[in-house]
Amino acid sequence: MLVSLVACTGNFVTENENPYTLSEQMLTQDNNLLGSPFSSILSNLSGFQVDDNLLNDCFARQMATGTPFASGINNTTYYPTWNTFWSERAYTVMSATKKVIENAKKYNLPMFADWAKLARVLVMSKATAIYGPLIYSKYGTQGSTVLYDKESDLYNTFFAQLDTIQADFKANSAYTGFKKFDASYNGDIPSWMRLVNSLRLRLAIRLAKVAPALAKTQGEKALADAAGLITDNKYNFTTSLNGSKLPLATICFDWDDTRMDAAMESFLVGLNDGRIAKYFQPAADNTLYSDHPSYPYKGIRNGAYLDSKGQHINFSKINASFSSVTYRKHFTAAETYFLMAEAALRGWAGAGDAKTDYETGVKLSFSDWGAGGVDAYLADATSTPINYIDPKDSRNSFTTRSTVTVAWNNADPIELKLEKIITQKWINTFTNSLEAWVDMRRTGYPKLPFNAKNDSNDTWGTIGATDFIKRMPFVDSERTSNAAGVADAITKLGGPDKISTRLWWDTGAASNF
Amino acid sequence: MRKTMTLLCLFIGICWASAQTKITGTVVSADDGQPVIGATVVAKGTSVGTVTNVDGAFSINVPSGAKTLVFSYVGMVATEAAPQNGMKIILKSDTKQMKEVVVTALGIKRDKKTLTYASQQVGGDELKKASDMNFMDALSGKAAGIDIKTSSSGAGGSTKAVLRGNKSISGLSEPLYVIDGIPMVNNKHDQPGSYGGTDTGDGLSQINPDDIESINILKGANASILYGSQGANGVVLITTKKGKADKVSVSFSSSTIFENVSQLPKLQYTYGAVNGSDYSWSTTKSDSYQKDYVKNFFQTGVNTINSVSVTGGNAKTQVYFSYANTYAKGTMPTNSYVKNNFTFNSSTKLLNDKLTLSSGVIFAQEKTKNRPGAGYYDNPLTGLYLFPRERDFNYYKTNYAKFNSDRNLNVMNWFSSEEKENNPYWILNEDSKLDQTKRVIANMKASYEINKHLKLEVRGNIDYADKLQDYRLAAGGNSVSVKPTGSWTYANYNDQALYTDGIVSYNNTFGKLSVTALAGLAYQNNTFSNGISANSNAGDGLIFPNFFALQNLPAAAIVQNTIDRSIKEGAFANVQLGYKDMLYLDLSGRNDWASTLSLTPNDSYFYPAVGLTGIISQMVKLPEAISFAKVRASWSNTANDVPFNKIEKWYTVANKTGGTTAPTYAPFNNAKPEMITSNEVGAEMRFLSGRIGMEATYYYDVSKNQFVQVSAPSGSGYDYQFLNVGKLVNKGFELTLDAEPIKSRTFGWKTSVNYSMNTNKIEELIASDPNYAIGSNDEGFKTILKAGGSFNDLYVYHFARNSAGQIILDANGKPTAEGTQTYAGNVNSKWNLGWNNSVSYKDFFLSMLVTGKFGGVCISKTQAFLDSYGVSKTTGDARDLGYVAVNAIQGTTAVNQVDPVKYYSVVGDRNGIMEPYVYSRTNVRLSQLSIGYNINVKKLHLPLQDASVSLVGRDLFFFYKKAPYDPESAMSTSNSMQSNEVFSMPASRYYGINLKVNF
Repeated sequence: MLVSLVACTGNFVTENENPYTLSEQMLTQDNNLLGSPFSSILSNLSGFQVDDNLLNDCFARQMATGTPFASGINNTTYYPTWNTFWSERAYTVMSATKKVIENAKKYNLPMFADWAKLARVLVMSKATAIYGPLIYSKYGTQGSTVLYDKESDLYNTFFAQLDTIQADFKANSAYTGFKKFDASYNGDIPSWMRLVNSLRLRLAIRLAKVAPALAKTQGEKALADAAGLITDNKYNFTTSLNGSKLPLATICFDWDDTRMDAAMESFLVGLNDGRIAKYFQPAADNTLYSDHPSYPYKGIRNGAYLDSKGQHINFSKINASFSSVTYRKHFTAAETYFLMAEAALRGWAGAGDAKTDYETGVKLSFSDWGAGGVDAYLADATSTPINYIDPKDSRNSFTTRSTVTVAWNNADPIELKLEKIITQKWINTFTNSLEAWVDMRRTGYPKLPFNAKNDSNDTWGTIGATDFIKRMPFVDSERTSNAAGVADAITKLGGPDKISTRLWWDTGAASNF
Repeated sequence: MRKTMTLLCLFIGICWASAQTKITGTVVSADDGQPVIGATVVAKGTSVGTVTNVDGAFSINVPSGAKTLVFSYVGMVATEAAPQNGMKIILKSDTKQMKEVVVTALGIKRDKKTLTYASQQVGGDELKKASDMNFMDALSGKAAGIDIKTSSSGAGGSTKAVLRGNKSISGLSEPLYVIDGIPMVNNKHDQPGSYGGTDTGDGLSQINPDDIESINILKGANASILYGSQGANGVVLITTKKGKADKVSVSFSSSTIFENVSQLPKLQYTYGAVNGSDYSWSTTKSDSYQKDYVKNFFQTGVNTINSVSVTGGNAKTQVYFSYANTYAKGTMPTNSYVKNNFTFNSSTKLLNDKLTLSSGVIFAQEKTKNRPGAGYYDNPLTGLYLFPRERDFNYYKTNYAKFNSDRNLNVMNWFSSEEKENNPYWILNEDSKLDQTKRVIANMKASYEINKHLKLEVRGNIDYADKLQDYRLAAGGNSVSVKPTGSWTYANYNDQALYTDGIVSYNNTFGKLSVTALAGLAYQNNTFSNGISANSNAGDGLIFPNFFALQNLPAAAIVQNTIDRSIKEGAFANVQLGYKDMLYLDLSGRNDWASTLSLTPNDSYFYPAVGLTGIISQMVKLPEAISFAKVRASWSNTANDVPFNKIEKWYTVANKTGGTTAPTYAPFNNAKPEMITSNEVGAEMRFLSGRIGMEATYYYDVSKNQFVQVSAPSGSGYDYQFLNVGKLVNKGFELTLDAEPIKSRTFGWKTSVNYSMNTNKIEELIASDPNYAIGSNDEGFKTILKAGGSFNDLYVYHFARNSAGQIILDANGKPTAEGTQTYAGNVNSKWNLGWNNSVSYKDFFLSMLVTGKFGGVCISKTQAFLDSYGVSKTTGDARDLGYVAVNAIQGTTAVNQVDPVKYYSVVGDRNGIMEPYVYSRTNVRLSQLSIGYNINVKKLHLPLQDASVSLVGRDLFFFYKKAPYDPESAMSTSNSMQSNEVFSMPASRYYGINLKVNF
């Protein structure tokens, strides 16, 4: 009797549900189950402060911090302090897309699985450029050890996945199922197909030095695909901020933790680049830019000596308009043209003429950023980057390593041509700097300043005084929870798990050709 | 002893008498006026007898020949009286027998000597001695085996109490609190971390210490199995004061306690900053800098407690009413706390006293303003301590705000824009934090005596609290931690616990055998955090500056409905068999059904307990000096359910544009209840007619199947997983000694020592992943749980040293760190000691409590920051000296001096070498001292029963302490952040006056 009185457990299941969350059943209405996760998934293609701004933005010398985080010893001085892209972005996308892929099968909506896989290639191709080997093909397998894919396998997998995605998209190019959930292309499949081709070209170019044959095959495939590439700014791949502020704006305006990089000042001022006013705002203190009063901008050197946060706080912020942008850039038409320009230098079929590609890229970039004066800019064969003066601490001042100019000259040596392309590509990728960090390691361009303050040591790897950081170490949680996997990954990496170990495509060869 | 046995023998016989008179009456204890349960009543010269029921009542058919009834009970002096209907017998305790009635699980009163497990009772007066506002804080050092840490956040802050070591990996290991037999809610919502935050309090501070008659601590799971899962970490049983028959009394007590900061960090004021730096690392000394602004920042706090209680009643109905008002002004300016308590308890007997109806209502209202937080953000102490010495603090004090003409509003005026830097006076004057609780605990009980052996009791209780947290940071504050238009964190919710149970109890004696048994059903329905939470941290923050309302949230903000709920049902039974008052066997079992384990095969689970007690002094003749001796042993298994909504998780709303976040948790359909196996053996002895007593317990507890949420390995396909893992062993020893060395009419001295030691070992965490550690780097240190280690092992970066122990300096002459954080100690103390004394001489009385915690480590990140910013006295002294003395080596050259600037560039802050900031947690203090005087009311012809006045002090001084702060003052009362502090409130010294009057 006692038991029958008590064991009234009929409502237990309901009681243990959280009524303020959405069940799968509820989400099947309006197909939200498959589509609604995409805004979160796509927003994780890029990071925030520690997994983006204090990582690639700084390593690529586009933004710099004036805040002496952790007593001034941190990522920016080559002592890894934050290493979270892995857990906060890459594998968050992997797990969320896993659910989508499973449900796409369960509810027979295969296009969503393709979309999810594309998101995976987008984010994991960024992650591998930070860490090298990744868990990818073995993702989702049980067991205490999950093995990493070596980089060459990763790229082959990416290419193969892009093949099937593109085939499915081609067969369903009129599909409208994404529309409600797609703030990027409003559900337009042909636009996504352009992204697939551009992404394939980006990855192919990464491999141009280390696996030239594969790179050429894949690059030419991208260039030849009938769906085309992102060749116009209207096809630019952006993702919605879903009502949030652009992270860089929050970090810059609200937190005062990021400012214009000194290299940006050196190049944009030196090259008389009209985009400078679109990227940045004048320094708040007019004594700071007395070295070039007509360009009222002042950046902070990366890896700088910093006394206090207040010391460099009046240096140039990003343009105030970044406060109100509603989307984040991931792939622009200019990048496609710069990729094509390099492909042309490498003689890939379908790449067109390097000069035309280069100049189209610059023009598309100016137009994308709303800057004027592109014709004069492209014609300028004399202006070069300037030396940098830190009016607050002369230890941070530097002499520019670059003598690059803007104007294309068919008579230039091929290395100089590549330097021009990559320099322009670097300037264009502002706010989307990861690929610029890749190019910098792969090609050595642009010729950017080294760290003034270098706190690297043998713990995480020593970076020479005239060298740059090569990668980020595998994350601590993996070291403990998947120790055998990490040990295996280190053999696949081909060097110690340190910031000084080059990634696969970073061959270290002086010549790019 | 022999007498009792004889009486029992008499009782066994069966008697037929020709004429009988039915006599009813009650037996109460002279000590506390409470009913004596199970007292033997025998008609002298006959074999007719009975025992009293749970209310101390008896009914006996007295043969006509019998003229006298004999009342006896173990531990009490047998008393004879002529039969008379409605008679009330008062039994005095027999010090030789040591009877001690204690309240055990479910409110059941038992003779302590029959218990098979350790429990320790502390009287309400003891808790009130030093005028603590929180009854648990007052308990520290007064019972063995309980480790109590009080939040540094001041009045209304939370308390962390752990019995016999941390047994739960992710749970709080805190005991269950029970008021008058019914579990009460003790939820903690938020606690500060390194980055900041504020203690939002718990459920303990709402209890009026004046309402507490006594507290009994059931230390092991053995004792608390009847409470089921929730009792797995031990139980603190609170018995509230009740009305007493035939006695109307009014008592009034008032205390005023002052509080002064006593643990300020040691700072230097002679070296400033160069180049306007945030860091005071100049090497040029100056004596012209301001010096007293840190000390002057804090104010003298005041706590006043005024309470009045009225009790009264007749034989049928008794009532108790009390009101208390508590007011506190903290040492942090603008911090205040107000609490009002109302309590009403009543009890009525109906139907020939067979039915007893009782009810109790506790109402508490608490309001805290600007409770001090801790951590880097929005904390006035960071800016206060780190202020560069050459600057003018007084200017910033006066001009904490400056007008921004572009925005037409005031913004903070401060020299630094670092994320943790704030003008302390801006925070005090412009930011506001409000914590409010309104709580009702109401219960009704009906107990019906079916016959003299059988009783049915039904109880119901509601514990309902409405909570508000409203934290406002003004527009124009620190740009990192405050949105330009101001930041707002808001939560308004209620915590509700419904509890009901029905218990049938049976008492009888069969010859040499006594039986006390009960069986019952309990139903518990908890709905916690039921309400709304919101914050302004989306997009650009609030729309209109400094307007804090839901309608002013930015478009991207998500206002959350929150909930945490569970239903638990239990069926339980307990039998205690006694043999000849010398041997007791206790058997218990409980089955629980838990909603949180639905969709698993384990939502119903059973667990048993068994215990045995032998009273040696009843069995054999012991030397005269030993007045009482008992040994006991018990074993129990307790199971605990998992938290709400862990088995199957759904999608959450991610943004306002139609996005969701998928539940990327590994399935947990194999969830199991957590299991704690407790073993304990103990002995209790009294000597010299009870003037010296000893109680010792050894326990060995094993926790298994511990619920944890961990990050899933990257490759698993999930972000998180829930697991039942681990094997935690807590073993320890508790010893309580008490003595009354001096006992005379004019002079008395009672002293007691509570000693406990606990060792915790994590024998296994995740079997398949032996290196797995729970807990991660918290900027400068980590406290982790790892197989082979103990609960909350502290890891920090140590100096890199060569095999000769010399610190390795780099090419620049700076000390280098080891590559990884390594073990620095465990944050839990190894053993705890409390020494409590009370002395009375004529009308004077004195009490003194010394408490000590021995072993363990603690870490001060405040000190690490003060050093790195060059504001600590240590760095000033080092600059005076010109070097930091080290035993170091650079290349092959031995070095014994390092330039302070170089040294502190790599030591301290939040990521440097933290080795120097790990301190021994050992501390011994004078916890309480009170000296008082009993006013001779009769002599003075005052219309009073009694009156007393006393001077009290708490935490007056340390006999021993190595850390630069009070390690027992907790920055956080959750599991992490134990024994460390990051700009938390410096601890205080308390002193004041206490007045008590009874009418």
